[in-house]
This record gives sequence, structure tokens and C-alpha cells, in this order.
Amino acid sequence: MRTHTSSLPDTVTQLDVAGDLLALLRDTTTEPRPDNQLEALTLAVAADLPVLLWGEPGIGKTAALTQLASALDLPLTTVIASVHEPSDFSGLPIVGDDPAEQGVPMAPPDWAVRLVRAGRGLLFLDELSTAPPAVQAALLRLVLERRIGALRLPPGVRIVAAANPRSSAADGWELSPPLANRFVHLQWTHDTDVVVRGLGGVWPRATLPRLDPEKLPEAVDFARRAVCGLLGARPALAHRLPSGEVRRGGPWPSPRSWEMTLHLIAFATAAGSSRDVLSLLVRGTVGDGPGLELLACLDRMDLPDPETLLADPAAAVLPERGDLRQAALDGVVAAVRNRPERSRWDAAWALLVKALETGPPDVVVVPATTLAALRRDDWDVPASIERLAGVVTLSRRADRTTAAVAAAAAAKAGR
Amino acid sequence: MTDASETAAPDTASAPEIAPQTLDRDKLFTARLHAARVRPYLATALFALHVVASRRVPTMGVDRYWRCYVSPGFVDRTPVEELAGVWVHEVSHLLRDHHGRSDRVAKERGLHGPGERLRMNIAADFEINDDVYGDGLARPAGVVEPGDLGLSENELMEEYLRQFTLGPRSQDLAWLDCGSGADGLDREWELGPDGAHGLSERERDAVRFRVAQGITGRPGHAPQGWRRWAEEAFHPPQPWRQLLGAAVRSAASAPGAGEDYTYGRPARRSIALPGTVLPSLRRRPPRVSVVIDTSGSVSDAELGSALLEVAAIARAVGGRRDLVTVVPCDASAGTARRLCRAEGIPLTGGGGTDLRAGFTRALRTRPAPDVIVALTDGQTPWPGTRPPCRTVVGLFPRHYENHAFDESDPEYVPDSPPEWARVVDIG
Repeated sequence: MRTHTSSLPDTVTQLDVAGDLLALLRDTTTEPRPDNQLEALTLAVAADLPVLLWGEPGIGKTAALTQLASALDLPLTTVIASVHEPSDFSGLPIVGDDPAEQGVPMAPPDWAVRLVRAGRGLLFLDELSTAPPAVQAALLRLVLERRIGALRLPPGVRIVAAANPRSSAADGWELSPPLANRFVHLQWTHDTDVVVRGLGGVWPRATLPRLDPEKLPEAVDFARRAVCGLLGARPALAHRLPSGEVRRGGPWPSPRSWEMTLHLIAFATAAGSSRDVLSLLVRGTVGDGPGLELLACLDRMDLPDPETLLADPAAAVLPERGDLRQAALDGVVAAVRNRPERSRWDAAWALLVKALETGPPDVVVVPATTLAALRRDDWDVPASIERLAGVVTLSRRADRTTAAVAAAAAAKAGR
Repeated sequence: MTDASETAAPDTASAPEIAPQTLDRDKLFTARLHAARVRPYLATALFALHVVASRRVPTMGVDRYWRCYVSPGFVDRTPVEELAGVWVHEVSHLLRDHHGRSDRVAKERGLHGPGERLRMNIAADFEINDDVYGDGLARPAGVVEPGDLGLSENELMEEYLRQFTLGPRSQDLAWLDCGSGADGLDREWELGPDGAHGLSERERDAVRFRVAQGITGRPGHAPQGWRRWAEEAFHPPQPWRQLLGAAVRSAASAPGAGEDYTYGRPARRSIALPGTVLPSLRRRPPRVSVVIDTSGSVSDAELGSALLEVAAIARAVGGRRDLVTVVPCDASAGTARRLCRAEGIPLTGGGGTDLRAGFTRALRTRPAPDVIVALTDGQTPWPGTRPPCRTVVGLFPRHYENHAFDESDPEYVPDSPPEWARVVDIG
């Protein structure tokens, strides 16, 4: 066998060239780009709630976690659940000289010891759904009780888990309702545009939410009002076990998940996050139906207070969108009905005129009709009602249309 | 929330061109008021639309941000009652998420180009028009209906899309260019995502949710098509194959079946760690028993597809053919036999007269099954006690036209499946 010593430098240069090529390939830049799901994840992690990312394999969950760890300035520890054994998480039983006397201590793995020593960090448990059931049970104890073997993870450690959705999981893994209830579920999706731009050399850089120290008290107050307001009006939503095959393993409303929701609303408010981000969080904590009801409740809280509007109709600012505007005007009329006084009735008319001048007339018809019906005998019709003549005509025309359609239908039926 | 200081009239400056005729807003809004009166459950959605006057839009069209582009000329030539119909038609596109569904269909089936988008607009129109008019709402002149192309009513856009092509018969069908809200293709006159008065995705969801809530809360007012929409608006139905597969797989791989750790044998790692007791991974393939009890109301094709699905999943989980057994009950025995022979699935003969006997028989086999999958149409008595293994029920829809229940007792309603079973509706 002949050796070519002369070929050795040749290989080295080849490797050097390959290294240069790799360096060129890795030379990418970033651009700022709003990313709602990453923002939602950041808020949930900041609020110290256990997060479960549901996403297909290979869509950049780990990349997102890396970005999050650097943004929160936490060291990232990734543990791939499917290659571990249950004893790695529940602790290894170390049998001593006299187990009956001393008990059997459960020794934790080295990464847990390092985490505890550091006192802070981001622990990412990947591929939760492909691990055997006993491993999952041990892992969930780690997520929910923050205990690993005999150690307790310090509060500075945040935990995020990831799982593949049922449709793509090979073994149809799913969470039982009690466990599903303890997590904030975030559906992780990839955006094709982002992937294409990233492969072109420009990866997105999300600007992550920052909590504003000024806003903390008002954020707590707002969150409490929202959740208590909804549950006061709809007590049935306080606890509802998931029913049916479709909703298994997903979030559902219970006192525990409502408390998590309250925390998340407070965090999103303090960070000034958009409602889209809050929507992801709330629907991922109590489920779609209750989550949407809560968001509708927040929308109502955004409406101007009827009493404020009545106090100063001239300065009133009404919502621009037709449906919200009608809701605000309905609220005003309801306020007048609850405490009918001449001055309030007049102020309501002034508001309706203002609404007519600044928006579509058909929105004003129903509130105007209701308000007119509230009139007492000794109240004179305000002069401003002249300005609403257009509304009356509109309403009459609509009546005529209704009659015409009915007549046409009757004629057609009679033929 | 934007500042309300600007004028309410959609200022023509924001429209792509200055409209020569002014928009007859009174007529347009009278039509909207009429529409909201005859369809009260759509009022929220109708009022949420923001009107933009535009001369470049042929008639009336919407974009996915809930802006409604109106041609002043179209408003002038159209009677009020027909305008009301157009209002409802356009808002239906948005509520039914036709733009999102069009994009999804385009991606799934690889349909590209303006011609395909026009077909999507027409198919979406079919879905809306077959039950939206009448009952106080006049039919606009020249609306397209599935009947124009000889198609049946009450189907969804995705189904209509498979059933027609653009040709001489559909030449005059594009009576209404409904904009990107109907087919997902952006139009030149639209203001796009950054324009004023657009609704964000969450706001659109909120409007849909409120409309759906109004319909499910007072179902008496809304027609069948809208009620179905309201039920599915936020709970899209999942394909039964996925659900059945997930149910069987999770039952078969649950603790007590399949693979798991056990302290019964030492782990291979134990050698390296003297003085440590480690559990080892053991695997026992799960056994699945399929009990079939259907009356004549389930077709062979339906039953066959469900049985094959279960067999395929069970094999994937267990890895061996002999771990799936089928127990047919009397009525379905013939069909089950044919299917099993064709597929080479072992059949345990004569499961008895009804599902209870079938369960008993399945549980008597040794080794006992880890999972029982019952395929049934539900017209059967259920076992009174919970069997000692996981149970999945595949429930076929009942066809009432050939009902098999007791003629002498018209009051008889079959029991619903018991609490302890996981139920998947098939079909």
C-alpha cells in the first residue's frame, strides 16, 4: 500500500476552502419584523407560565427559542425528551449502605445541577410528544412542579415545552384534560415569506415586548376588570370540561386557566402589546370560545363610557366603525332609560345628531327610535331633532322597501 | 380606534380616482338598513363594513379588510331592494371567509391565475346565492345560481369548484366582481393592508364571532345554511380519519398497552451504575378487537373504509397482522366477512345478536384485547358496564329515511354511546 504524503497539504487546503464557503453561507443579516407568535411566547415566558408549543417538526421552534433566550438574556438549555429515560427526569435512585435508614435519594442529571447553580436560564423540552409515556409523566412533573429528582428549579428558570400536533404525531399522543389545562398552548406556524427571505440571507429579528414599569398598577386593574366582568356575566364559563373528540388535549376554561389568563392580560397590557398577540395568548389558555368572548368583552370595555358621553356631547368622540358606533349609542340610550331625566334625554339627542354628522345614517336609526319612545309627556321635542329628519326619511324608505319586497313576493306567490 | 374628526363620507381622495358622480349615500344606507332589518343576525357584520366610493369597481366589491367598494353608477341604476340583496351577498363572502378558503384551495390544488380566481368567485357566489334571498330580501337581477350550470344546491364553494369549468355557459356569470374578499385576488382599486379603516385579523374574528353567537343564541331566525356556518365558524370539523386514528392510536399506546418502562427487568444501563436500580423499556404490541354492528343503513363502502382505516392503524401500532381481530354481529356479518377475506384480516365468527354480545365475545378471546373499536350506527343497546379495556366508538350517521328502529314503538330513540367510550362521528 503506497501512501501519498504529498496529497496531505492538498486536503488541508480543500478543507480550508470548504470552511471559507461555509463562512460565506453563514454570513446573513437580520431585519426587524413584527412577529406575533414570538411576542406571545415572550409574554407567556415572562409571566412564568408553562408554555406548550404545538408545531410540525422542523419549522424553526428551536430557532425561535434561541432568539428568545438572547432577548431575555438567559442561557438556553435544550433537552430532547425522546432520547431520554424517565430516570433522567425523576432522578436516578442511588441505593446507599442502609436504604431503610436513609431512604433512597434521587440524583438529578448534570444539566439540572448546572441550571440550579446558575439560578437562571431557559429550559426547552423538545419533542415531548414522541417520548414514551413514562418519560412524559416525569417531564410533566418537571414542568408543573419544577422538581427534578431531589432538586427544585429556582424561580429564575423558565420552562418551554414543544410537541407535535396529533395529526402528525406518529402515536397519536395527546394530553389529558387536567394537564392540558395547566399550559398556555401556542400553535407555532411558519411564514413562507420569512423562510424565503431568510434563505436569501435576511432573517427576521423580532422586537420583543418590554414591560413598562409605569403601567403595572393599571395593567393589573384592567386585567381584573376584564376577567371578573366576563365571569360575572357568564358564570357558566368559569369551568367547562372539554367535550367531543375534536377539542381533546386543547385548552379549556377553569379557575386555574382563568387566573393564567388574568396574568397574561396584565402582562400584555403592561407591555403595550397588540390585541392580536393577546388573542393568541387568551385563546391558547382558555380555548377558542371563551377566549373570543373575553376579547369581545375587552372590545366593549374599549367603548366610550355612556355617562362620559352624556356629560359632554359636544366633545364626545364616537367610534369610527359602524357596529361599534351603534353599540356605543345603544349604551347611551340604555343609560338614559335607566335614569330618565330631561337633561340626559336632550344630551342623548345631541349625541345622535353628532353621530349622524360624522358617520353613516343607518347606524343611528335604531337608537333614535328607542330614544324617541322614552319621551315623557312634559318633555318638549328638542330643536336638534330637526337635524335627524334625514334619518326618519331613511327609515321610512327602508319601510317602503320592506313593503315593496313583501308585495312582490306575494304577487309572485299568487301567480 | 381612529380619530373621528374626519368626514364620514368616504373621502374621494382616498379612492383611487375622483368619482365623477357623487355616491347616493342615502340610497345605499337605506338599502343597508333594510338588509339589517330583514336579516337581524347579520346587522353587526353589515355595520362593520366601511364604505369606499370608487369608480373603478364595476358594481360592489369587498376586500379582506372589510372595506366595501361601491360604484356610484351602480347605486344609481339599481333599485334599493336589490342593493340590500347585494349588501347581504357581499358581507356573506367575508363572514364565510371566502378569501381565506380560496387561498387554501389554490394552494392545495395548484389553481393559479385570474381565470381560476374567477371560478372561485363564481363558486363562492353559488354557495351564498342558493339560500340567501327571499324572506324579505329581493333577488338582485342576474345573480348566478348553481342551477344555471345544472349543479345542485346547498354545497360548499370547494365542492362547486370541482364541478364546472369556464366555458360558453359561464360567459355571463361574472355579473358581480366581488373583489378580493370573495376570491383572494387583490384588485387594482383596493386600498390594501395599510389603507385606512381596515379590520385586523383579530377584529375580523371578533365580528364573525359575534354574528355566530347571535345566530346560535337565537337559532329560530336564521336559515339552515347560516346555522351550519355559525356552528362551524370557530370549530371547523376535523376529518374523521384523523380523529379515529388519534383515538385508536392513543388507546393502543396508552399505559398498560404497547411500550413503556417497567421495573420488572433491569435496564441495560444498570451494569454501568452499580447500586442503582433502573427500569427498562419493554414493548408488548397492543391487540385491537373490532366489533361491527350495523343495520342496513350503513353502506358497504362506508363500513369498508372505516374497517380498513382501523386495521391499518392497528397494524401500524402493533406491527403484526395477527393482532387485529374482527367480531361481526349478525346484521353485518356478511359484509364483514367479504371485507376481511379481501384484506386477510382474521375474523372471529358470529359475535351474537347485538353489540353487547359482540363486546362479550371480543373480551372472551385470549389473549384479551387492549383496545376495542366498535363500528356501529348507534341503533343498538350498549353494554351496561365499562369493559376492562379502552373503547373507541366509530359512529356512523343515522339515515332516517330507512330507519331501522322499532315500527311498533315510534317513540323509541336509540341510546347515545356511553360516557366511558371515546366517540368519533364517521362520515
